[in-house]
Amino acid sequence: MKKISVKLCVGTTCFVMGGGGLLELEEIILEKYGDRVSFVGQSCLDLCSKSAEYAKAPFVKVDDEIIAEATIEKVLETIDNKLGVK
Amino acid sequence: MFIDIACLQRKKYNQNAFGDFFLSRRFPNMNRLVAVLSDGLGSGIKANILACMTSTMLLKFMENNFDIEKSSEIIMNSLPVCKVRGISYSTFSAIDCYENGRAKIVEEGNPDFIWIRKNEVLKPDFQTINSKVFQNRKMKVYNINLEKEDRIIFCSDGATQVATGEKEYPLGLERDGLAKIILDKIKWEPQISSNDLSSYLIKRIEEIAPRRQLKDDTSVVCIYARAPRESLIFTGPPYDCKQDSYYAKYFIEFEGKKAIAGGTTANIISRELSIPAKADLSTSSKILPCISKMEGVDLVTEGILTLTKTLEYLEEGAAEENAAKLLMDFFISSDVINFLVGAQMNVVHYDPSLPVEIEIRKNIIKKLQKVLEEKYLKKVNVQFV
Repeated sequence: MKKISVKLCVGTTCFVMGGGGLLELEEIILEKYGDRVSFVGQSCLDLCSKSAEYAKAPFVKVDDEIIAEATIEKVLETIDNKLGVK
Repeated sequence: MFIDIACLQRKKYNQNAFGDFFLSRRFPNMNRLVAVLSDGLGSGIKANILACMTSTMLLKFMENNFDIEKSSEIIMNSLPVCKVRGISYSTFSAIDCYENGRAKIVEEGNPDFIWIRKNEVLKPDFQTINSKVFQNRKMKVYNINLEKEDRIIFCSDGATQVATGEKEYPLGLERDGLAKIILDKIKWEPQISSNDLSSYLIKRIEEIAPRRQLKDDTSVVCIYARAPRESLIFTGPPYDCKQDSYYAKYFIEFEGKKAIAGGTTANIISRELSIPAKADLSTSSKILPCISKMEGVDLVTEGILTLTKTLEYLEEGAAEENAAKLLMDFFISSDVINFLVGAQMNVVHYDPSLPVEIEIRKNIIKKLQKVLEEKYLKKVNVQFV
């Protein structure tokens, strides 16, 4: 099964809107999913300036799915759905 | 050639004010640098005021293109004399030098400067000018030509007279003792910056002082004639996105150290030049996002928050360990700093519902330029694109 990629935006808007609190995801994801899920930070996901719909930082991308106003719970839920885990 | 200058000072151990005063000014259009170090009589506030007046007056004369010799003579003839001790209320050393190496130095009462070339202390000729007003007061005037890799060290007598009376230094460290410390250091680190050399010398002087207590205000000024350390920092996307490719190429082909401040900017370089950017999450801090790594780029930070913090650290002269300190170090270890500033703004940064107020990039860059030029004596070029 293809590895799921999780990308955390570490840009200005995301940081200001609480992105720092999502850094824990790195350890949580490793512990929970092992090598089924990869996790990286990205200096800019190019989302906040795109449109009003996307002006809800912090952003996390799980494969191609964008999570706005991301929280740890939302990200884990999205990963679980993709893995088909209940 | 670039004239790299730095000064580090310490107060007498039991005083709250510096009794020595250092001032310097660079004139980028004239490739000229002037600097004055003055030592006020005694220590504390009174010495500070005397030294401050001397340095300020002398620098003002030189800034207004009065010849350093004439200016120094005027100061020498007007500095009052202590009625009790019969000596000047303040002594001074001044230098007026150009990037082609031409330099004039004037000394009145301070220890003779130390001029080092190829690991030897040179003994230049000088002219003596006697004061027309005060008996026994005279100044020395030197006309010299600096070559690349030459170093000049000025100091106040707090440095040369440290540890006077101690067994190892009956007459104090003396000029020869200080010269030996400098020569030994330069042998091991021939390209040490003036900033690092002045820190090192002050540290050594403090180690020599009995109980590490300096009995006098101590100042060390280091000058190094070097090939300039150039750096380029790219911050903000170009106003016209059609120019992204051009400026990405301009950036990567620059000869010197390179930094990027801004996630969007980093993305542009990454995309245009196919260089992946990897965030190093371990460098995150509570107040600033992490840095990223890109091949061929010395430092990649977030943009406006990091620049704002870096400005604060530069103004205070102190920093915590985070991305802004790395950027501050990047600036301090450069002689000529080139800013390539993209004028495109991210309007979301100015959404009133954001919990913090984000400065406008142009304003921060202007403030950075000012502090780097005035406090750190760097040469700064800014280009808005």
